[in-house]
Amino acid sequence: MANDRLRALEEVENQIATILQYAGNVVLELSKDKHNASFLDRQLSQVTGSVNRVATELSSQIRYLTQVATGQPHEGSTYSARKDCQMALNRAEYTRVKLGELGRTCEVMLDPQL
Amino acid sequence: MANQRALPQSKESLLQNYNKRLKDDIRSILDNLTEIIKTAKVEDETQVSRATQAEQDHYEMHVRAANIVRAGESLMKLVSDLKQFLILNDFPSVNEAISLQNQQLRSLQEECDKKLTSLRDEIAIDLYELEEEYYSSSYGQWDSTDLPLCEAYWRWDSWASPDGGATSGSAQGVEEDTDGPASQDTTPKHYLNGHGTTAAADKP
Repeated sequence: MANDRLRALEEVENQIATILQYAGNVVLELSKDKHNASFLDRQLSQVTGSVNRVATELSSQIRYLTQVATGQPHEGSTYSARKDCQMALNRAEYTRVKLGELGRTCEVMLDPQL
Repeated sequence: MANQRALPQSKESLLQNYNKRLKDDIRSILDNLTEIIKTAKVEDETQVSRATQAEQDHYEMHVRAANIVRAGESLMKLVSDLKQFLILNDFPSVNEAISLQNQQLRSLQEECDKKLTSLRDEIAIDLYELEEEYYSSSYGQWDSTDLPLCEAYWRWDSWASPDGGATSGSAQGVEEDTDGPASQDTTPKHYLNGHGTTAAADKP
C-alpha cells in the first residue's frame, strides 16, 4: 500500500520532467522560422494533459494525507520480533559451531594423525 | 544571539501549505507557457522599434522560461516533501509494514526453532543408540568405583539436594546399566549406595 503511493509519486516526478521537456519542445518549435502547427498542437496538448494529471495525482495524495495524518509520531516497532529472530539465529549458529567441534573431535578420534 | 527554534507546523497548516504550493506552481507553469506563446506572435505595429521590441520579447521569454523551470523544480521539491510526509505519517501503511515484518521475522524464528528441535530429536535418538552400543560393549564395562556418567550425575544430584536426596543402589544401578543406559525418567532413589527406598525410609 505504501509502496504503491510512493511509486505513484515517483511517476509524478517523471511526469513533471516530461512537462518541462514538452514545454521546451514548444519553445524550440516557436523559435523556428516556419512552425509545424500540428507538432505544436501535439506538444501543447501533452503539456496540458501532463499538468492536469500531475495536479490531480498530487491533490489526491494531499487529500489522503489530510485524512490519515494525526500529527503524532508512530510508536510501532519490530524490535521484539527482530530480537527473538536474532536469538533463534544465534541458537542455530551456536548449534552449528558445536556440531562442527563434535565432528572434528570424531575425526581426530578416528584418525589420530590429523 | 538567542537560539531560535522553529516551532513545528501543525498537520493542517502543513497540508494547506502543500496545496497552496501545488496550485501556485501549476498556475505558474501554465501562465508562463501561455505568455511565451503569446509573445511569440509577431506584431506589425509596435510602440518601439522592432529591434527593441525583439530584445524585450527575448528577455521576457527568457524570464518566463526560467519561471517555468523554477516552478518545475518547486513541484519536485513538493513531491519530495509529500514522500517524506507519507513515510512518516501514513499510519495504515506503516502498521501494515510493521505487521508484515513481524510476521516474517516470527515465521523465520519458528522455522529455525522447529529445525533445531527436529535436529535435537534426531541427535537424541542417535545418542541413545550410541550409548546402548557403548555400554553393551567391552569398553562399557566398569568396576564398582567407576560409575557411568548418568549415574554419577544422579549421585551428584542426590548429594546436592537438601534432604539427602533419594537413595539409589549402585548394585541396582549396575544391573540396570548393563541392560542399557539408565533412563533419565527413572527416579534417583533407586541408584545410590546399593540402598533402595527402604534405606530412605530408615533414615531419620
